[in-house]
Amino acid sequence: MFSREPTPRPGFFHDTLRPMIRFENVGMRYGMGPEILRDVSFHLAPGSLHFLTGPSGAGKTSLLKLMFLASRPSRGLITMFGRDIATLPRAELPDLRRRVGVVFQEFRLLDHLTTYENVALPLKIQGRPEESYRADVKELLAWVGLGERMMAKPPTLSGGEKQRAAIARAVVAQPDLLLADEPTGNVDPEMGKRLLRLFIELNRLGTSVLIATHDHALVEAAGAPELMLKNGRLTIRG
Amino acid sequence: MAEPRQTARQTPPPAPREEAELDHERRGFGGALKALIVETRSVMPAAGATGLSLVLVVAAMCFLASLALGAALTVGRTSADWTRELSAALTVEVKPSDAMAQDAEVEAALKVLTDTPGVLSARALTRADTEALLEPWLGKGNVTEDLPLPRLIDIRIDGHAPPDFDALARRLVEAAPGAILDTHRQWQAELVRAARSAQWLAYAVLAVVAATTIAIVTFATRAGLQANREVVEVLHLIGARDRFIAAEVQRHFLHLGLRGGLIGLGLSVATFVGLGWYAQTAGSFLMPVSGLRLEYYPALAGVPLVAALVAVVTARTTVIRTLHRLL
Repeated sequence: MFSREPTPRPGFFHDTLRPMIRFENVGMRYGMGPEILRDVSFHLAPGSLHFLTGPSGAGKTSLLKLMFLASRPSRGLITMFGRDIATLPRAELPDLRRRVGVVFQEFRLLDHLTTYENVALPLKIQGRPEESYRADVKELLAWVGLGERMMAKPPTLSGGEKQRAAIARAVVAQPDLLLADEPTGNVDPEMGKRLLRLFIELNRLGTSVLIATHDHALVEAAGAPELMLKNGRLTIRG
Repeated sequence: MAEPRQTARQTPPPAPREEAELDHERRGFGGALKALIVETRSVMPAAGATGLSLVLVVAAMCFLASLALGAALTVGRTSADWTRELSAALTVEVKPSDAMAQDAEVEAALKVLTDTPGVLSARALTRADTEALLEPWLGKGNVTEDLPLPRLIDIRIDGHAPPDFDALARRLVEAAPGAILDTHRQWQAELVRAARSAQWLAYAVLAVVAATTIAIVTFATRAGLQANREVVEVLHLIGARDRFIAAEVQRHFLHLGLRGGLIGLGLSVATFVGLGWYAQTAGSFLMPVSGLRLEYYPALAGVPLVAALVAVVTARTTVIRTLHRLL
């Protein structure tokens, strides 16, 4: 499932030489409101693991939204995988989105689909026939401990199960970058540690990982660099 | 690298029930047909609360639109038939006169008529027929022998090549002094006007119902799509192309629209068949005995197709607009 062959994707070798994501003096506001993010500059290297921390309302989710291309910045420059997203034609955005796996804070699983169908969705939208991924999806579900809950629909899953389903959906297409918004927010500390091990494992296999969290224990346990947001400004620690 | 794979292999294989459910796509032709018409293996919810209400709204509006269409076609056809029949019918009234015996006058008038090109048939009503016509007003057996009654001749003319009425009237008077040609022109014109009004009214009702149907199906589709906004957004964020999302949404609303439309069509066909049955047993003024003429049923079948098309086009334009707003 997670074996990573030297990928034939065009531009891969080029990508390894430069940051996957680069923010330069990025500012963001909603409508005519105040700036949520101010002069944010950082970059994420391929294969890196970072935490994004900060008090509630500091702009963590807004920053993640910029990174999974759900919002545009009000100012500044964002390059993803070497492409300036301001000049990128809209038709090319889906290709970039497919290289980013996202674990949404509120999971955003589709309630009318089974857990299996939810997790398989990123593969289905690529137009792949189900036979080509069925075994992989089942294997991944078993790996995150949902092997027995494959046919359950999200409303019947517990908070922890939903979280794991959301994580499985985010990683099933083997993204280059995994963004997780409060991925341990709904689980007990034990499950939190297990999920952290999962992220570290994915990172070890080559995926860049950015975890937004309130959980300081998690950050200390991983010992990874921390992007700290406060009042819309970003500082980097570690 | 291979560790997770090994971990996964240690887990027991899924239960046979799950395998069976995962293999639901393995269906024959019947299953594929059913999937096309009834069930959708789309990523959209097959039938949520909003899906159901959209189906009901489309069904109700298609029912009304089919009724209006059937009624407009029937009224149009009936009034056209009526007008044609009226203009093809003339009457010659032979009043008793001192100049000739009434029977002789009738004979003379009939001869003129049968000799006139454009007259298809001429039939003289007997005195008994005339008495029967008066029965509703005078009552049975109240017409005495000595009551002078005009004799009537019922004429059918060729509507495409009618005779010259003025010349015919002149020749009739020459042959039979008591004969008067009644072309029914005055009340025929009034009846035709009434029939035309009924026709226009039916078409106006049809136009209003059709416009309302389109508006309501449009609004219901938008409401249905609003309820599915989360699905559209999630698909968009995980990298689905607009094309893929639009196709899924279109297919979903095609299913809902067709399902609702077919229910409405079924109800309206049942209504017309019921009306036809009622007209046959109880008699009805405007409705032909067959209820709705067979040749109009294909036109009714167009109603659910138009409703589904409206739903699909609305869904597509709305979802594309939504996606463009999302970035």
